[in-house]
Amino acid sequence: MEETRVVNATWDISTFKFRIEGFGINNMLKKMKEAKLLGNRCHQCGTVYLPANFYCRKCHIAIHEPAEISDHGEVMSYTIGYADVRGNPLDEPRVSLMVKLDGSDTWIMGAGEDMKPEDVHIGMRVKVKWAEQRVGNLQDMESFIPE
Amino acid sequence: MRNVAIVGIGYTPVFVSKRRDVCIPEMISEAVENAFKDSGLTPADIDAVVFGNMQTFEGVNLPHLWSADYIASLGKPVMRIATGGTTGMSAFHAGYYHIASGLHDVVMVVTYEKQSEGDSQVGLMGIITPEIMAMLAAGIDVTGQKGMGAIGGGSAGGISYQASSYLHHSGAGIEHIDAIAAMERRNAAKNPYAHLKDPEATAEKIAQTPLISWPIRFGHVCPTSDGATVCILASEEKAAKLVDKAAWVWAVANCASDATTGNLIEGIITDPAEQMPAQIAARQAYERAGIEDPKKEIDYVEIYNGFAHQTLMFLERIGMCEVGEAHKLLEKGELEMSGRLPVNSSGGVVSTNAIGTSAMNRVTECALQILGRAGEHQVEKEVHKALAHGWGGLMQYVTITILADKPKKL
Repeated sequence: MEETRVVNATWDISTFKFRIEGFGINNMLKKMKEAKLLGNRCHQCGTVYLPANFYCRKCHIAIHEPAEISDHGEVMSYTIGYADVRGNPLDEPRVSLMVKLDGSDTWIMGAGEDMKPEDVHIGMRVKVKWAEQRVGNLQDMESFIPE
Repeated sequence: MRNVAIVGIGYTPVFVSKRRDVCIPEMISEAVENAFKDSGLTPADIDAVVFGNMQTFEGVNLPHLWSADYIASLGKPVMRIATGGTTGMSAFHAGYYHIASGLHDVVMVVTYEKQSEGDSQVGLMGIITPEIMAMLAAGIDVTGQKGMGAIGGGSAGGISYQASSYLHHSGAGIEHIDAIAAMERRNAAKNPYAHLKDPEATAEKIAQTPLISWPIRFGHVCPTSDGATVCILASEEKAAKLVDKAAWVWAVANCASDATTGNLIEGIITDPAEQMPAQIAARQAYERAGIEDPKKEIDYVEIYNGFAHQTLMFLERIGMCEVGEAHKLLEKGELEMSGRLPVNSSGGVVSTNAIGTSAMNRVTECALQILGRAGEHQVEKEVHKALAHGWGGLMQYVTITILADKPKKL
């Protein structure tokens, strides 16, 4: 039987010049340096977005009202990873959580730490573990840990 | 609006991992030939062609034009449709629109995927490359070990969160995902056009396959397949001349929503198991088909289930049972070929996934059940009305088609 053939080639992703506004995520990152989470609220329907989108997806209007979001929240869904991005088995299973932070209507994802895979459950309370040295990127939030 | 009938179906002789013996257009032409044989039509009878395959999977741009002489489209209108996993049914819907609108009388819908000539993972990544680039710029850790984002932690994709949420809210357990996967692999063993077949599959056997990302195991996941499916549609007047018995389209509907899981940039992540588009599209389809109680009126369902839990989850979302009821129906054996609500007797997408064809095959399999031509995987009960479901896009796009054994009263 013929084996799978692998053809090595380079694909320079920089060829593509994607333009993404990143309004919400950039605003959020700036505040994360101070270990704070900033979303925004639709003045019409009250939906709170984190990261802060520049328009309300329900009302289709521009929104500008900043909303501070707690760094505590509830696990809405989760998965336990048993393989890495290449499909190789991991030595230790990894916890990944979808969390609805208090005060936000949308969820964020992040790694779970200090919790056994078998203890993780939907409805579990968690809080953000902030990095000691914060630089304004997504790794300023190191992980979620039990509340 | 005019009535539209399915008058011909053609599959490639097999759906397998690697068709090394044919190139893409050659493989497609096998299904085209079979559809002509099935309908008794010739290329001269076709007014227009709709073509569907997954964008980016084989890295072939304009495959509908490269294949022109293999899909009998010379000198005819052709359009390509690509909506992700739903592509096959979106193409079918486009064929339906061509005829229902009165513009054409006979339309051929061609769908294919030859995944062995591409890389599904690269294809899937291609859909969200700009978002990934933006998140990389924002410092995301793509290995999923730490930080915000941590997209599913390595290979654990959005689908694992979906399954996890589904289990929590339905009261089902991972053993039910094992059981539905086993049922579909057993069904697939009776379908000559299925890819992964196991007549001896049991929940216990599936449970022995390794966990990839809780609660998804290897045994819950679809294969990557090579194959093509062609469906010929005709207006009521034409169909009356062409065939004695046809499957009739009673309703088509589709619905999209936010990109949910994966879109960290715009702050729109919500429950990937909610699947509001499925609820909306199903409701619209029932309304259009004049169906008041789908639980009583729909005899057979084909669910698009790239992952086994989705059969159960989507049955609930489209209103074929109550929330939390699907796994109980499974336990009672009601989803089996001999059951009260047979589902995916074809083996579903979890057994065969040549993506461009996958949502179309849900429709053609419903048609075969209505026509009583499904052979070994024909269900025991009589099928008068059947529902085909497609799922794709960025986890948030759903298509529905309802077929029946007679034309709809207009």
